Order: sequence, then structure tokens, then C-alpha cells
Amino acid sequence: MLLRLVVWTILAFLVAPLIIIVLFSFHASASLSFPFTGFSLRWYQEIFGNTQLAGAVTKSLIIAFFTALITLVLGASASLGWLRLDRIGRAVIEAMSVTPIALPGLFVGVSLLVLFAQAGIRLSTLTIVISHVVIALPILIVAMKARLALFDPSLEEAARDLGASQRQTFARVTLPLIAPTLISSAILAFAVSFDEFVVTSFVAGTETTLPMYIWSMMRRTVTPMVNAISTLVLLFSVAILLGAWLIGRLRRQSAISARAEP
Amino acid sequence: MKAPTPIIEIRDGKKSFGSFVALENINLTIHEGEILTLLGPSGCGKTTLMRLIAGFEGLTSGTLRVSGEDVAAVPPERRPVNMVFQRYALFPHLDVFENVAFGLKVKGLAKSEITERVKRMLHIVQLESLANRYIDELSGGQCQRVALARALVNEPKVLLLDEPLAALDLKIRQHMLAEMKRIHAETGATFIYVTHDQDEAMILSDRVVLMEKGRIVQIDRPEDMYARPKSLFAAKFLGETNLFETAVADSGAQGTVAKTASGIGFLSRNGAGHKAGDKVVVSIRPESFSFANNDEGSSQKTQGQVEDVVFIGSRSFYTVRLDDQAKIRIQVQRNGRVKPPEPGSRATIYWDADNVVMLPQA
Ligand SMILES: Nc1ncnc2c1ncn2[C@@H]1O[C@H](COP(=O)(O)OP(=O)(O)O)[C@@H](O)[C@H]1O
Ligand SMILES: [Mg+2]
Repeated sequence: MLLRLVVWTILAFLVAPLIIIVLFSFHASASLSFPFTGFSLRWYQEIFGNTQLAGAVTKSLIIAFFTALITLVLGASASLGWLRLDRIGRAVIEAMSVTPIALPGLFVGVSLLVLFAQAGIRLSTLTIVISHVVIALPILIVAMKARLALFDPSLEEAARDLGASQRQTFARVTLPLIAPTLISSAILAFAVSFDEFVVTSFVAGTETTLPMYIWSMMRRTVTPMVNAISTLVLLFSVAILLGAWLIGRLRRQSAISARAEP
Repeated sequence: MKAPTPIIEIRDGKKSFGSFVALENINLTIHEGEILTLLGPSGCGKTTLMRLIAGFEGLTSGTLRVSGEDVAAVPPERRPVNMVFQRYALFPHLDVFENVAFGLKVKGLAKSEITERVKRMLHIVQLESLANRYIDELSGGQCQRVALARALVNEPKVLLLDEPLAALDLKIRQHMLAEMKRIHAETGATFIYVTHDQDEAMILSDRVVLMEKGRIVQIDRPEDMYARPKSLFAAKFLGETNLFETAVADSGAQGTVAKTASGIGFLSRNGAGHKAGDKVVVSIRPESFSFANNDEGSSQKTQGQVEDVVFIGSRSFYTVRLDDQAKIRIQVQRNGRVKPPEPGSRATIYWDADNVVMLPQA
């Protein structure tokens, strides 16, 4: 009984802010607190009239897209290598990929900023993408690792045995089997990039991404439009995560190893 | 019968993984069209030998020829050999038809020919009705048949089967053994069959290769290996047996005589090569003992106390304590002619010199 109460309290704490944000995004007045005085779509209308905001969203989408693409290519190569490593090799890769996830964003941001300065790279969209790849790649590797561990290397041997060359084996067996994992991981990278704030603020230079725009808006005046933007971002994030989950669950494709038990 | 044609020849084969020697002194000639089993306890190197033939591993030293050609430099996809993997390794993203068609597709055959050959193969393994099922919708026995069909459709000269029935339960296993024999007869391919199960090896094979710790210890027809094991290991691994520590007392034209410390004597006609004083182990199968004196001339006997009887259908297993306290197991076929002794009674036990095997101590 007590345990249930605790669980519900925790859930309430997690969900309450979301509900309040969504609720007040439809508020008719500019007030951010109760009492609630009526529904309206005015804050959503304001969003679509705001060109600065549109620019920030576009920038974030472009950055997220390229982050996902680059992470996908690097992640796919890493995972193919990973499939061919022994236990020790895998442990090393794992340690190397988990460590950056545990580092504070502040630290990563400062180090990247120093790196770019040393290398003489001007802060721009490019530096943001590089930084996002640095953040997303380890997360991607950790996410893929669990699935790829299920990959049965005897499937590749079976293909070779049946007459497939190395290239045919990759195209007809390995790639189709790991593709869903790769795609859902790429979507995850997209989501990570889309709302990254801390590191981005170090390496963005004069560029403005959506999270940065929201933050600067909040610093000026707290307008209920923020609620509307947040609601949309929330919807978008849920949608892509749902997409990733669905792809991961696709029948057949989800089976990455050969069935052996009777 | 025509002279057997060798299809696979291994000479002085050795395989090491780092400092670990997995296979050593492998000399083996496999004949076209036979079913040869590699039998041995887990870890003795059966899979490794199979992977060498398939081309997934290379010999550390020695030669491996397929149809007379040294295949050291031939990759797996270009060997006339197909393998049924221990865990099947069926492609989960393809249906049954596509799984079976895989080998023909990568070889670039015409679509019509692929369809025809796959259909014929599915007919042989009786899976036509399941052609569009995915692997996760099949039972273990069906997976087994898909794996067989996927390999056989390529018409390999040699089919390698790595413990193909290990994952199936007993009933399906017996059924699949019969299937396997039928398919072998139908395709005429050479089957190399790996198992650690002596019954499978006995039922299926033309010849058995018995392995122990990376070495071949005996190659024989199953009935010969059972009747005349060449080592203690072979005697113990194949079937049940009674063993007696003895010393050779005399060796002559009649046969070889060995005695236990307590004085039970065994005359053997399979003991040539042992001389007086040699320590040998006498092996006699449970069914080679009898409570009846069948053949006056060659029968030998001793006495003991019947301790226990277990009836298994038409056979009975007796545990008898000999007068020197050694326990032996006797298998008797019930036929009503001889009245078997009751538990607790004394009995005379007979055996025949032809069934006494003398083995060197391990
Ligand atoms: N790739 C490998 N690296 C190191 N040792 C191996 C490798 N493959 C097999 N072995 C070892 O070789 C021995 C024989 O293995 P295996 O051929 O699989 O035996 P079996 O199939 O008879 O059970 C085992 O001790 C196993 O650990
Ligand atoms: Mg094995």
C-alpha cells in the first residue's frame, strides 16, 4: 500500500509539470498560474507568426538530421567492428563509450570549445553538429550494443557456407538484420540532438537552435508561448521515440538471431 | 559392391588455437556416399573438424583434400560442401522458401530453376505447406528440416551435420533419424554427422569415427566398434559394459587366458597380442552374460548372488554380486525357455570366449 503511494507520488511529480505546461499552452489569458480562465489557441497562432522561432526550429532540424546521419554511418561502422570483436575488445569499446555519457555537459562543452579554438575552427552550425555527434555517438553505441549482442555470427557463416561472398553476405544477411537497430538508433541520435542545450550553448557561436531560442525568450519575458512551443516539442519527441520503438519492434526484423530452441 | 571412392582425405591434420591443440594426428578418409559419424564427448574437437572441412578454419599443419584437390586456399563459399549448423542458423528475416532458395540465389541461378529446385527440396523434407512461414513460426523439428533442405538444395557432394538433433526432444529425434536415412538414400550425398550420442551414431552410420581429446581413437563399422572396441575408452563410450582388472596367465592357440586377483579366469579369442604377465582389462557386454549354458564347448562360468532385477519390456537387467564382491550387470532377453533366477538366489553365470574383449589398461 505504502509502496503504491510512493510510486504514484513519484509519477505525479514527473507528470504534473508536463500536464501543467500542456494545459496552460491553451490558456486564454497571459497568466501562468491558476485560476484557469478559458481555452484558446492564441499562443499557437503566435508561434506560427514568429519568423525567428521558425528559423531556430529549421536550424535545429537541420542539425539533428546531420547529427543522425553522421552518427548512423559512424555507429554502423563501429557496430560492424564490434560484431567481430572478442569479449575483451567489446569491454574496451564499452568503457570508452560509457565514459563520455557520464561526463557533465559543462565539461564536454568547455573541452569542445577549447578544441575548436585550438584547431582554429570557427564556431558555426558545423561545430554544433560535431559536438552533437560527440554526445550522441556513445549513447548510440550503448543502445545498439544490447541488440547487436543478440546477433548470431553463425548466420554470416551459414551465408558463406551457402555460397555467398563476403559482400553478398553483408548485403543479404548482416545489413537487413541490423538495419532496424541502426535506424532506431539514428532516430535516438536525432532526438538527442534536437533538444541538446548545455553543450550547444558553448559551441554555437552566433547560431541559435530551438532550445537556445526558448531559453533566451524565457530570459526576456516569461510568455505563455513557451508552453505552446514546449507542448509541440513534447509531441514531436514522443512521435519520433514512438517511431524508433515501432521500427525496433517490427516483426521478423526484430529477430536478429536464429531461433534454436525447439 | 564397387570400390569406395575417397571424397575427403585428411593427412596428419593438426589444429591449434594459440597454444591449445584442438586436433592432432588426424588421418581420415571419407568415402563418397557414406554416412560417417564423428562421435565423442563434448569438447573432443568434433565441431572443429567439421569447421575445417567446411572451410571456416584452416589446418595448422597437414593436408585436407576434397575430391583429390587440396582446399587449403579455398574459401567456404567455393567448397562443394554444405553444413547444417548445430543451432541451425536459419535466416530470421526470410521465410522458409527464401531460406532454402538462398544458396541458389547467391549463385545467380534463373528464377524458374530456383523455384523448381526449392519446391522439389521442400517436397523431399515435407515442408511444401509451410513455404511462406517465417522461422519463428516453426517447431524445432520443422527448423531442422528447413536447415537440411537449405543445405541439400545446393546438391553438395558432402553434407556436414553438426549435432542436428541435439535440440530436439526424444520422440522427434527418433523420427528425424529415420528421415535423415531416407533423405540420404534419396540424395546420395556423403553425410558427415557429428554427435555425442552413441545411439544416434549406431543407428545412422556406415562407419563411426570415435574421438577423444582431439584425436581419433578408432574408426570402424558401428557393430564392430561395439563388439571389438580397441581401447577402454571405446568400450566405455559405446554402450554399457562390465570391466575386470586382470593379468594374462597364458596365451596360446586356444586363445588368451587372463585371471582376476580373486581367480576368475577369462578365455578370450580377441586377446591376441597380449603375453603372459600383461595387465589387461577384460570387457564383457551385459548381453554377453547368460544364466544358461548355451554352448558346451566354449562357455566359461562363475557364481554369484542375484541382488536386483529390473524389467524393461522384453529385456531384464540383473545386478549380480560375484563371490569376490565385484558387481556385474547382465541383460537377459525373456523368451520363456530358461527360467531366470529370483533376486536373492545364487546363480551360475556363463559367457562365451568370442565375447570376451581384452583391452590394454588406460
Ligand atoms: N575458436 C576457438 N578458439 C579457441 N579454442 C577453441 C575454438 N574453437 C574450439 N576451441 C576449443 O577446441 C576444443 C574442441 O571444441 P569443439 O570442436 O567445439 O568440440 P566438440 O564439438 O567436440 O564439443 C574445445 O576445448 C574448445 O574450447
Ligand atoms: Mg560441437
